[in-house]
Formats: sequence, structure tokens, C-alpha cells
Amino acid sequence: MAESSLVAGAPAPVLPRRRELLFGTGLVTAGVSMAIVTLVAQYLATRAAAGGTWFVDNDIPLTQPNMQLVTIGMSAVTMQWAVWAINRDDRYHSYMALGLTLLLGIAFVNQTTFLWHMAEVTMDQPEGPLFYAVTVGHFAMVIAGLIFIALMAFRALGGQFSSRQPDGISAAAIFWYACIGLYGLIWFAVYVQK
Amino acid sequence: MALTETRPETDRADTVVDEREPATQIERLIGSGDHLSNGRLLVGFSLIFLVVSAVGLGLAALDRTTDDGLLGGISDTLWPSSLIGLVLAGVLPLLIGLGICIVPLQVGSRAVSFPRAAALSLWAWLIGVLLFITSVAIDGGVGGSDDELARMGNLSLGLMMAALALGAACVATTVFSHRPVGMGLARVPLFSWSMLVAAPVWILSLGSATAHVFLGHISRADAAGLATTFDSGIAWLLHAPAVYMLAIPVLGIAGDVVAHLTGRRLAPYGAFQAAIAAYGVLSFGVWAQTPRSLQTIIWIAVVVLAALPVLAMVGGVADTVRRGTPKLAASLIALVLAHLLILGGVLAAALEAVDTIGSGQLWNLDTGSLAGAQALFLITAATLGALGGAIHWSPRLFGSVAAEGPARGGSLAVLLGGALAATVLLVQAIAAADGRDGLPEGLLFALVAAGAALFALGVLGGLASGLGAARQGHEDGPSDAVTEGLTLEWSTADDPVAVRSPYPLLDLRDGGASDEESK
Repeated sequence: MAESSLVAGAPAPVLPRRRELLFGTGLVTAGVSMAIVTLVAQYLATRAAAGGTWFVDNDIPLTQPNMQLVTIGMSAVTMQWAVWAINRDDRYHSYMALGLTLLLGIAFVNQTTFLWHMAEVTMDQPEGPLFYAVTVGHFAMVIAGLIFIALMAFRALGGQFSSRQPDGISAAAIFWYACIGLYGLIWFAVYVQK
Repeated sequence: MALTETRPETDRADTVVDEREPATQIERLIGSGDHLSNGRLLVGFSLIFLVVSAVGLGLAALDRTTDDGLLGGISDTLWPSSLIGLVLAGVLPLLIGLGICIVPLQVGSRAVSFPRAAALSLWAWLIGVLLFITSVAIDGGVGGSDDELARMGNLSLGLMMAALALGAACVATTVFSHRPVGMGLARVPLFSWSMLVAAPVWILSLGSATAHVFLGHISRADAAGLATTFDSGIAWLLHAPAVYMLAIPVLGIAGDVVAHLTGRRLAPYGAFQAAIAAYGVLSFGVWAQTPRSLQTIIWIAVVVLAALPVLAMVGGVADTVRRGTPKLAASLIALVLAHLLILGGVLAAALEAVDTIGSGQLWNLDTGSLAGAQALFLITAATLGALGGAIHWSPRLFGSVAAEGPARGGSLAVLLGGALAATVLLVQAIAAADGRDGLPEGLLFALVAAGAALFALGVLGGLASGLGAARQGHEDGPSDAVTEGLTLEWSTADDPVAVRSPYPLLDLRDGGASDEESK
């Protein structure tokens, strides 16, 4: 047997530093948000240059994006509910709120794929690359947000978060609110003003 | 183990034994989350890639000395690829590597925030750089003609940007959340403060540029399309005001080095922090990506006003030097000269700004050369500043004091080489005003090539100096020769040091100065 060492006598883990995950998530969220905002800006600039020919061959109804906005908007309430509950050590409500947020997020993902199918925008038309760059970029962000929330929900189930250390849930909330805010921007810039 | 779990009573210390094979050297290297190990690797690799990029720039310039391309017309690919390589494979990772090493020590922390993320940023960046170099070497990169290889170059640029943004986030989070009791943000050492200012600017700028990489990839653009995307969506990183962001940490390094070498407190400390913060704000250039945004009064004001915080730093540093009796160390010389190079970059941008006042073109300067001069001045300033920092913190970075001779020689060569290449482009911009011929192309690009070669030699000198210090440190063990530092990275005490001012170790020697005294 090679070199061995005793590990059972290791000291108990210390509490993570407060706000570390919160600040780190804030910075990463800022970078990702800047990428999406840049894509939207590029979309608007290209559409302005194209004039009246933008999406003349496609039918993108507003009903579907509106439903998406309502769905992801509702998840802002449930996410804040989770933050509120964990800050009061109310685990039962925290799990319920995180579960509902995940459910609404998955519904949003489903609605997005349905909208792509309905809009029938192809990559060969001039609008295609920018349309998909904006919506796929945001779609990927939402998927990342859902994974983040699911991970934090599992850690909450493992007892790692409480009113003394709620940072994981708060950090996931920051990222999720950015997803919601950016969808609001996309909803107005891409779908309302098409 | 989750925080709420408790150890079962049957879990006895003497019954559980780790039977795993000990990790090999390579496994320890790759799997390490140690901030010093990862930071050193980032610093070392970035110095190597700085040399590679500078050689590439030199070759591109040589190619341009004749109309039909002395080296077969490689400059169309090599010039933009080398310039962006100097930034993404050289200067930014060098500064972030220095931050990963030194910032945790400055704030009295044993580790960088998210050590695994910091390690991920190192290895992802390295993969990105290797892919980019491969792509450039076989007709891809930026401006190459092979579609697939150009796409690979485009993706590798995105990988480098994302990795660097992640590394910057780790460093900034360390400053924000790892500080000891008593060290409010107003008492953070200036290098750490400058990294805290720089990180959001870098993350936002790299995030925006990454969006263009993503757009280029999703649109399945060919090599020519990707070159256009680079010009319209990424090249702004090399133009004022965004290119100013490369030098934000240089101001912080200078503040810490001057205080250390003079043994004096910088005062008023808040003014130094404000100058760095102001410079950081003015270097935020995401909004200035399109040619239209460069014709605005806001752009003109921003690029010219950036000189003020740099001048404030120079004034403050000069005042501290006047009050103290500093050793004329290589790090001090490098950092003072780095400020002059920043001002050179601001001058080049200011000339472009003044030229656009009024109806558009005042002197009709050659804006392409002006943009090149801005980039080269700032890249050289950041390289020189980072080398100065690496030399200054060599006992902590490499385990031993870096030899002064190679350090001075390297710094001088970096300064002369970078300044030569940038100044020649600045002169060309003025000489070619109003559509005149300007300098002879052969002479112009021969001088730029000579400057790039000198720059590469200087970086090699810095690398040799660092490697020498690392070997010395490895043979002699960790150095405790330097104990006269002012900030926590120089602390050799096992017990925590009370922080009552930005200079806790000086307080300790002075018998406990108050915060008021430090002002």
C-alpha cells in the first residue's frame, strides 16, 4: 500500500464566506447579460438597416411571446418567495417555491421551442442568424438558470442553506431575475417591434 | 459533508484510513486549486504567449515592408491575430495571473474565491490559446482563408474571453468577500482595489465581444464573414476607450510598489482609489463599438478625460517619492515609465478625438495608424506594469527575489520596443494626414518589426528573471528576506495582523498608527 493518511480526524468544514457566491454570481450575470444585450443591439441595428423587409415572410404572433412573458414573470414571484422563505428558515415553503420556479422555467423553455417551430424562421433568410442568436442565447441562459436553481434546491435539501447562510438561493435568484429582465427586453425588441 | 451534518459517534479517527495512491506531479499540477500554483502557471504561460504574439506582429510588419508581401502576404492574418493575441493571450492573463497570486495574500486570505473556477479559467484559457495559435498557423485565425480553421479561431477567441472573464470574477470576488475584519474597501491595497475596479470592466467588455463570436458562429459565416465580424464586433477592444482597460491594474501596482519602496503611506489614500476608479469608469468602452459612436462629443470627452486620473496618479506617486527615499529598483522604473506609455496611448486617442471635432475631419489623420498606436502604447504599458509587479512581488510569486540585472534589461527592452513600434505608428498617422504619403512603407514597418522584436526579447528577459527566481526559491526554500513590506502579502507572522489602515504592517512597526494618521 502506498502512503496513507488519516482523514477522519479532519476538522469540521467552516461556513462559507457570506456574499462570496452572491458577488461572484453577480459578476458572471453581468457578463452574460452584456452578451445578450449586445446581441439585441446588433439585432436592432441590422433590422433598422434592413428597413421594411424585416420578417415579411414570417408570421410571429404576439400571443405566444406574451404567454412566455407572463410565465417567466410569475417565476419572479416564486423565486423571491424561495429567498424570503429560506431567510426565515421556512424550508417547506422554500422547497415548494423552488419547485414552482423550476416548473415555470421548464414551461418557458417548452414555449420557446414551440415559438421557434411556429415562426418557421430559417437560417438562410437574413433575419435568421440574428433571430436565433438572440433567442438561443437567452434560451441557453434560461437553461443555465434552471440548472443553477436545481443545484441550489438540492443543496437546500441537504441542509446547506438557512437564514444564517442563504447565499446560494439568493445567488440563483440574481441570475434568474436577469433571465427575466432580459426576456422582457427581447419580448419588446424582437417580438413587439417586429 | 453538509454543514448541518454531525459526525456519528462511531466514526473514530483511528478507524478510517485514506488508502488512495498519492497524486503524481502532473495530477497535482492539473488538479490543483492552489492560487499560487495556478497564478504562476497563468503568468508563465502568458509571458510565453506574449513573446509568440510579439514575434507574430514582427513577422506581419516585416511582410508589409514590401508591396507584394516580403513573407508571402501573411500580414493580413498575422497582424490582427497577433494584436488580439497580445491582449487575450498575453496582457490580460498576465494581469489576472498576478491577481490570482497576489490579491488573496494582500487581503490576508489563504485562497482565491472559487479556486476550482480559477483553475478552470486557467486550463480553458490555455486550450483556447493553443487552438488559436494552431488556427493562425494553418491559415485560419483572424483574416485567414480557410473557413473551418477561421471558425476554429473564432471559437477559440470566445473560449479565451470567457475563461479570462471567469478568472477576473474570481479575483474580484476575493477582494470583495475574503477581506479580514477591519479591512473595509477603503483600506484595500491599491493593486487589489485596481483589480476590483478592472474586473467588472473586463467582464462586461469581454462579455460583449463574446456575443459577436457567438453571432459569427451561429450565422455559419465563412472566413471573410468572420473577418468582418472581427472588425465590426471585436476590434473595438483594441481602440480607445476600451483599450485603456488593460492598464487599470498598472495604476494599482504602481501605488503599492511606490509605497513599499519609499516606506511611506500614500496620502490621501482615498484620492488614489478615486483616481483608479475614475480611470476604470472612463475605460469602459462597450458603448463605443461602431464608427458612429466615435464621432460623438461623449467619446471625445471620455478618451481625453482619461488622462486626468493618470496624471493624478503620477502626481501622487511623485509626491510620495519626493517625501521618501526610494530604492531605484527595476520595478519602480518600469512602473513610472508605464504611466508615460499610458499617457502616450491617451495622446494618440486624443489626437483622433480632436480630429473628429467639428464637421468630421480636422487634420484628416490616418486613423488606422492612430488606432494601432493606441493599442501598442497600452499593451506595452500593461506589460511593463505587470512585469514591474512580478519583479516586485517575486519573493511571494516565485519564492525568491528576482535578479535586478535581467529584470532591468527586460523592462528596458519592453519599453523601448513597445514605445518604438507605437511611436512610429503615431508619427505615421500625423505624417500621412490629409492623404499625404507619410513615411516610406519599408521604413515604417521595418521599425515596427524591430520594436516588436525588442519587445519580445524584453518579455523573454522578464521570463528568464522569473524562472531564475523560481529556481533559486526552489533550491533555497521560501524567502523570508523581505519583511519590510507595508501590506499583508509581506506578513510572515502566523497570527493575524490587526488592520487599522491600508498599511497594517507599517502600523505594526510604528506601534499602531490610527486610520486618521494614515491620512
